[in-house]
Amino acid sequence: MRYLRLLALFFRTELQYELEYRTNLALEIVQIVVIITTSVGAVLILFNYTTVLNGWDLGAMLVLLGCFYLVQGFGELVLQPSFEKFMEHVRLGTLDFALLKPASAQFLVTLRNFQVVQLGQMGLGAVVAIVGLGRISTLGPGEAVAFAVALVCGFVLIYALLLALSTFAFWFVRIDNLMAIYWSFLDAGRFPVDIYPGWLRVTLSTAVPVGVAVTLPAQAISGRLDLFGLAVLVVGSIAAFILSSLFWRVGLRSYTGASA
Amino acid sequence: MIDVYRALFVGQIQAASQYRVQSVLWMLFSVIRPVIFLAAWVAVANAQGGRVASYDVRDFAAYYVALSLVSNLATSWNAYDFEFEVRMGRLSPKLLRPLHPIHYAVVENIVWKMTTIIPLLIVLGFVAVTFDARFRATPVHLVLFVPSVILGGSLAFLGGWVIATSAFWTTRVHAVSTLWDRAVFIFAGQIAPLALLPGALQTIALVLPFGYMRGVPAEILQGAVDVPTAMLLIAVQAIWVAIFYALLQVVWRVGVRQYTGVGA
Amino acid sequence: MGEPIIDVRDLRKTFRVTERQEGLAATLRSFVRRQRRDVNAVAGITFRIEAGEVVGFLGPNGAGKTTTLKVLSGLLYPTAGEAHVLGFVPWRRENAYLQQMTLLMGNRTQLVWDIPAADSFRVLQEIYGVPDESFRRTVGELTELLELQDLVHKPVRNLSLGERMKVEFAAGLIQSPRVAFLDEPTIGLDVSMQSRIRRFVAEYNRRTGATILLTSHYMDDVVALCRRVIVIHHGHLLYDGPLADLAERMAPYKIITATLRDGAAATIDLAAYGTVTGRDEGRVTLKVDRQGAPERAARLVNELGENLADISVEDPPIEEVIDRVFSEERVGTAT
Repeated sequence: MRYLRLLALFFRTELQYELEYRTNLALEIVQIVVIITTSVGAVLILFNYTTVLNGWDLGAMLVLLGCFYLVQGFGELVLQPSFEKFMEHVRLGTLDFALLKPASAQFLVTLRNFQVVQLGQMGLGAVVAIVGLGRISTLGPGEAVAFAVALVCGFVLIYALLLALSTFAFWFVRIDNLMAIYWSFLDAGRFPVDIYPGWLRVTLSTAVPVGVAVTLPAQAISGRLDLFGLAVLVVGSIAAFILSSLFWRVGLRSYTGASA
Repeated sequence: MIDVYRALFVGQIQAASQYRVQSVLWMLFSVIRPVIFLAAWVAVANAQGGRVASYDVRDFAAYYVALSLVSNLATSWNAYDFEFEVRMGRLSPKLLRPLHPIHYAVVENIVWKMTTIIPLLIVLGFVAVTFDARFRATPVHLVLFVPSVILGGSLAFLGGWVIATSAFWTTRVHAVSTLWDRAVFIFAGQIAPLALLPGALQTIALVLPFGYMRGVPAEILQGAVDVPTAMLLIAVQAIWVAIFYALLQVVWRVGVRQYTGVGA
Repeated sequence: MGEPIIDVRDLRKTFRVTERQEGLAATLRSFVRRQRRDVNAVAGITFRIEAGEVVGFLGPNGAGKTTTLKVLSGLLYPTAGEAHVLGFVPWRRENAYLQQMTLLMGNRTQLVWDIPAADSFRVLQEIYGVPDESFRRTVGELTELLELQDLVHKPVRNLSLGERMKVEFAAGLIQSPRVAFLDEPTIGLDVSMQSRIRRFVAEYNRRTGATILLTSHYMDDVVALCRRVIVIHHGHLLYDGPLADLAERMAPYKIITATLRDGAAATIDLAAYGTVTGRDEGRVTLKVDRQGAPERAARLVNELGENLADISVEDPPIEEVIDRVFSEERVGTAT
């Protein structure tokens, strides 16, 4: 409860700050709109030649693309700014301040900074998903719940991945190259994970789970994710979260010299 | 001039050797995006019984492998660097030197490409085998590919500089280059071979310069166009390079005057 | 005496540093087999600090001051030894402990650059769970003591270095800590801002009774604030006691300043009385053995007679004592 209040407070302070730079805000929104419309355009071009792609029709594809921007937007809303700040803290030695607070350091560091304008990306992603949804079957309450659960799992997976990658900063300080793995693979989320050849599909589902983080929510909302799949996703996400948090703690212990 | 370039090359090669690992990693990641669209088109082709218009699955593979190669050879991110230099006030000392800043960028680009070309070819070879790519190129195509990719690279480079020059007028180069990048995304052959762009889009793509940066060299290397068409396309590339060269001259001169006028 | 607030016993911290060679080949080689070396940052120090004390922690760069402060505030695990602060083991970083202490570093900032400090204060209030009532009171007090009225509503990046440090102080004290570790709190500030900060620390200590351990390169800070100092060098404790006795213990000499009458300066050689360390017109400074100082002074008065206008016997300036200690790199143990 206290953490939720803190989160709201972090968000509010950043919002205040971003509102001061209206031109920037407007330009960023324009960029988001351009990027998303061109991506929708790309999907439309593909579907100019087919009505179905590996079992995904146009409606389902739009839902998927919407989920992609929901997940990516979430990453850019809070994770990217926070993790970048985290690496800066390690570099400058200001991480100490977060460790001295009577609250979870992991929370204070990894959910601390927001790029509020990225809510626009999530919003637009939601619009694309809703448009896609309008083209396919009706949405039952079961699908809606499954979707919400799967989407949260997607967020958690992305969070766990970034947390694990950024933990290396405790040892190597400069890890921009490692983080680039995330950014380049994330792009693959714009298509269903099952269209990729074996090695890439395996990577996108396990080591760098950006593929499943997007594909499974999209399947859930169009009623194509069974209960078993959802259960696996939930368990997998929780496991990923716990494992990455443990890894972070190991990194932190090494940073404070506990294991040296 | 040759001596100057030799000196610049030595400096850049030394600098690049420090970032060797980094460059190779970035290059590897840059291959992922073409693979994403290749996979999508393979899925479309499979849904349509193995081919889309004139392209079958193996043609798509050849096209995107070629496009990856061309994209890497014809990419320059001077806009970001340049904006940074203008903003940090680092451009002024460079303007004082008796050498146009563009020469640094030329050398930087060439060196970067030299350091990444071999690992790139290895990775692309791997992709080509995975997707069973089939190139239809004849030896004549291969000969024509050389001037085509050089012109494509020059065009991308000059275009990037024109965009970068906007830093003289606005601090929001980022927004401008996003628009430019998205135009490249749509029209340069990234999301689809130019021949597969539907109706009006294809016409627009043939009129705009973007396709001549990447798509045209890629199609020549793949062997998708016949030799006379290829030569015609190369001629258009040359015209575009000339236009952008002239444009850059004008924009640069006006821009520097503006920049030094406000006193930075 | 009651339970000490800070109790450190034989504290040690050894860092293992990897030696790096230049060049790719060397980098690759070290990737396989690393060249490592142990550095004893803190090599076994023991001290106690009672409630309400303001203690100066002195030593040259690399002496182990910051390492010790980091261990005491819970940022570093020691290699060996014990430490208790407020009865807690710092490196367990229990919330109950973190709630009651603060670490301020003069060269690092915890404030968010782009937003006004007042917003950062609110965030800190929430993090520390300070009730609104006491938050308002604390901020009010700090605002008054540090004269922050105009500063807290400006984005931090628009503040001068000195202003930022004042705000930084306020941010570090939102939780009304019982123990404060100050690491170079006045570094880089101009003289008047330094003295402002000093007055603030003294006043804060007086008002709240908080225990303060501070490091500083500026002896003025220490002289103004600390009755007691702890001197460490190369990770060893050299001295722990009253500032006033530091010179006596660490500098086995005194300074005699003799002022000679006009004309006498040229003819009289004072080298017979001690080592002449300075000569300015008629004023001559002599360095003499501590025990022998009264006798030398008496001889000077007797033998110079009328030629002597004035004479004083003093301890050497504190900077000089410290300088001397560190330049001689003497390693000893203190009681």
